[in-house]
Amino acid sequence: MLRRILLAMALAGIAGLGVFWWLTIPAVVAPASLAPHTPNLANGLVAFNAGGCASCHAVPNQPDRLKLGGGLAMPSPFGTFYAPNISPDPNDGIGRWTEAEFVTAVLKGTSPQGAHYFPSFPYASYQHATVADVRDLFAYLKTLAPVRGKARDHDVPFPFNIRRNVGVWKWLFVDGKPYAPDAARSASWNRGAYLVNGLGHCAECHSPRNFLGGIVAAQRLAGGPNPEGEGWVPNITQKGTLAGWSVKDIAYFLETGQTPEGDTAGGSMARVIRNTSQLSAEDLAGMAEYLKSLPPIEGPPRPKRAKSG
Amino acid sequence: MKRILVVAGALLLSVGVGIAQQDKVKQDQDVMKATGRAMGAVLSPMVKGEKPYDQAAVDQALKQFEDTAKRLPTMFPESTKGLKAEGDFSASPKIWEDKAGFAAKIASFAKAVTETKAKIKDLDSLKANVPVIGKECSSCHETYRVKNS
Repeated sequence: MLRRILLAMALAGIAGLGVFWWLTIPAVVAPASLAPHTPNLANGLVAFNAGGCASCHAVPNQPDRLKLGGGLAMPSPFGTFYAPNISPDPNDGIGRWTEAEFVTAVLKGTSPQGAHYFPSFPYASYQHATVADVRDLFAYLKTLAPVRGKARDHDVPFPFNIRRNVGVWKWLFVDGKPYAPDAARSASWNRGAYLVNGLGHCAECHSPRNFLGGIVAAQRLAGGPNPEGEGWVPNITQKGTLAGWSVKDIAYFLETGQTPEGDTAGGSMARVIRNTSQLSAEDLAGMAEYLKSLPPIEGPPRPKRAKSG
Repeated sequence: MKRILVVAGALLLSVGVGIAQQDKVKQDQDVMKATGRAMGAVLSPMVKGEKPYDQAAVDQALKQFEDTAKRLPTMFPESTKGLKAEGDFSASPKIWEDKAGFAAKIASFAKAVTETKAKIKDLDSLKANVPVIGKECSSCHETYRVKNS
């Protein structure tokens, strides 16, 4: 009898492992699925700026945002991540990558070696980008100067360092769906929604996260504690500060970093503005139109600030 | 008894100094807020086309910037180091750790104000030059201002 129970338990364990293994197989975009495509470098540049690639992948503490050697430290509750080199360097960057490997990395969060990337790389948002935009982005990145040197390894403790576990995270928080336009809205609104939720990955910082580090879907874009540590990230639905901003104010802010109060973007947003300021007036107007259309959503309660002095 | 008085006096004095320094932080914050209003309530709305171009208002806003540029070099004495301001932001310790860098930012702001003032004559020149000043605000805030946690 005991032997049978043990056998059943062992079988259940093996089955469980099998399910885990199957569930966490890293998704890949097959090269054959990519139809012939003539890269549009100008659109690749737009994708680069909308995606804010330079915010994390540009070498920190130097002025050239096209020097994509990586190295920026991103602290999080799960450990510290270091942005990798995405310059076209053949050894340290993405110089030897195929187009399908790049599309897989950005849309599926899977490395050319077939491992899951950590979600600090915002593929949970990038997955909504079009394949064409990502292919153009790849072509654009290849035109930039190669930068030598690898960034240091992530400093992430057990159990979060087991990359296979990220497969479960993806199963929970990544739906793999491209952006679906809303026919009831204007083309400009749809463009804005696409940029905000896809390449722009605004929700990655402007949303609260649960204990697994997944975005709390019901409070998307409603702000929360800064995932990088200190302070609070503002609610950008119509419940927060943006309720008092016009569509023009939001677009102007994304272009210049100037708030209607005459203040300037603080914290990491200053880096974001360096990217959004490069976007066209139409794209910025679309993002502003979309953000202004968001329903007011109450974010998590902000803790009382420590008394000054 | 005498000693107690001396100690009490010294304590009172230091408390007084502490309050005075906190007042100084508040005053400086008011200067920054007035500077922000000159940008956000006067210049930006004209650039955005929400208000008509008004030379007198522009001159006044630029005068505010000049005034701020003059005050900035003495606005952050050693005595206010580490004090937190009410609201969203405080001065970063970097102001005192990298005095040369901070002074260079102030000089750059003052230069931008002087240069743009000579250029702003109508809406088009305003549109071209307000971002120049705005960039000065951002780049200094990015390094020398921190979010209150």
